[in-house]
Amino acid sequence: MTRADHRRVLLWRLAILAALLVAWEWLTGIKAISRTPGLYWIDPFFISRPSAILARFAYLASGQVRLTIWQMALSTVQSTLWGFLVGVSTGFAAGLVLGRHERLARVFEPYIVAFNSLPRIALVPLITMIFGFGVLAKIVLAWTIVFFIVFFNTFQGARSVDADLIHSARFLGASDRQVMRTVIVPSALAWTFASLTPSISFALIGVVVGEFLGGESGGGLGYLIIQSLGTLNAADMMVALISLGVIGIVMALAIKQLEMRLLRWRPEYRGRA
Amino acid sequence: MSERRPRIVIRDLAKTFREGGREVAAVQDVSVTIREQEFVAIVGPSGCGKSTILNMIGGLVAPSAGTVEIDGVRVAGRVPGNVGYVFQKDTVFPWRTVARNIAIGLEYRGVARTEQARRVRDAIALAGLEGFEEAFPATLSGGMRQRVALMRTLVVEPEILLMDEPFGALDTHTKLDLHAELLALWEARHQTVVFVTHDLSEAITLADRIVVMTRRPGRVKLVHDVALPRPRDVIKLRETDDYAHEYGRIWHVLGEEFAGRA
Repeated sequence: MTRADHRRVLLWRLAILAALLVAWEWLTGIKAISRTPGLYWIDPFFISRPSAILARFAYLASGQVRLTIWQMALSTVQSTLWGFLVGVSTGFAAGLVLGRHERLARVFEPYIVAFNSLPRIALVPLITMIFGFGVLAKIVLAWTIVFFIVFFNTFQGARSVDADLIHSARFLGASDRQVMRTVIVPSALAWTFASLTPSISFALIGVVVGEFLGGESGGGLGYLIIQSLGTLNAADMMVALISLGVIGIVMALAIKQLEMRLLRWRPEYRGRA
Repeated sequence: MSERRPRIVIRDLAKTFREGGREVAAVQDVSVTIREQEFVAIVGPSGCGKSTILNMIGGLVAPSAGTVEIDGVRVAGRVPGNVGYVFQKDTVFPWRTVARNIAIGLEYRGVARTEQARRVRDAIALAGLEGFEEAFPATLSGGMRQRVALMRTLVVEPEILLMDEPFGALDTHTKLDLHAELLALWEARHQTVVFVTHDLSEAITLADRIVVMTRRPGRVKLVHDVALPRPRDVIKLRETDDYAHEYGRIWHVLGEEFAGRA
């Protein structure tokens, strides 16, 4: 793609954003529309409007509130990263061990499949009962989701290591540990990395759902959303949603960068890192 | 040659595989003795079990009958020490750079970093891979990757080298380059080599002795001493009458095996 192409795409994106914001602000200002049947929701009461959202954002960002938007965002980001890190490391370790031990994998298979098919949201009340209304509960929830994503990928990766690569390492004098470290782990990592971008997104989902139930002590943007529902405050809800969107994008991009750096040996990543 | 000590002794080796509930004999009654510093090529039509023999020497496949001994010790289901193995398939580690691929065997053996760097540098110069030290394998040609695989094996200085059609996937020109390089490296160290190939000219160019296999089940059809002087020039060699003579003799025998197939 040429630079001119690149700029044109960027320009279009900005134009669409501006058009959306203008339409949103303008249409929500016309009373006649919200009185039309079926279009009642085009009303500041339901979807707020950009000017009101900006005003609420400024207010929530100021020191006049007990819990600022920054504190809430930080809480959400921190919990997401913890859930992600713990989920990735445990999922990777479990995937590696079971991926290399055929019998162990067969023993655990039904349990893993059963637990993974359980809708994770159904666990929220149980997790809250066990871990309370704090930060820990939402990290645990994020972990239960991330663990399985990473586990299945790593498991597949560890199982599909090329046997000839292992043989050639043995002929070069590798011990079992060295084979693990220099052949199996790097081969499996390529699969693990592919699961990181979905993992961070799912970690965020887990955390926000956890925050719905977590109350003020858990804090976070999910708490702001539930609170806004209680007070029917669409502007606050929009502030939370937009913040979550920005956080999601930034984290996904960061992971993508990391992936490209670590997988720079792969031809498809060449010259892009 | 005969006064040299035997290094690899193969006795009555056989291998049968299960194929859809049937026992299929891949190798039968193979007995060969490979001596110190000898370069032996195993030639035969595809499917004659020559790679299976190599895998049994290397301990990757257990024999169904018979034994393989290396330096008097029976090879039984594990990779023997002091043996290098170059696969036909690309087995360089794609996540390691050229230099770190070549260093891996030294790393496994706990060789000091500075010593590693020195030996890797020498190997890279020897293989003409200068400038590619930090390149990842995916950016290299097949010939260069196989050079890396060869140097990675040689850098740990194995006394016995098992090679399974290592140049099978390369074009003729690259192949000749690598023949010349392999011969130069071998002249310097005189490893004991077992080289599996289906390419007769490759076998004549490289080997002291050629073991010709029959079609499946593979048996030894002929053991032929290559009467060509060393050091050999891989290009000029092919223009000599001696080469043509050697080729003609073995081709005649091998031709029977190929012909029987049609």
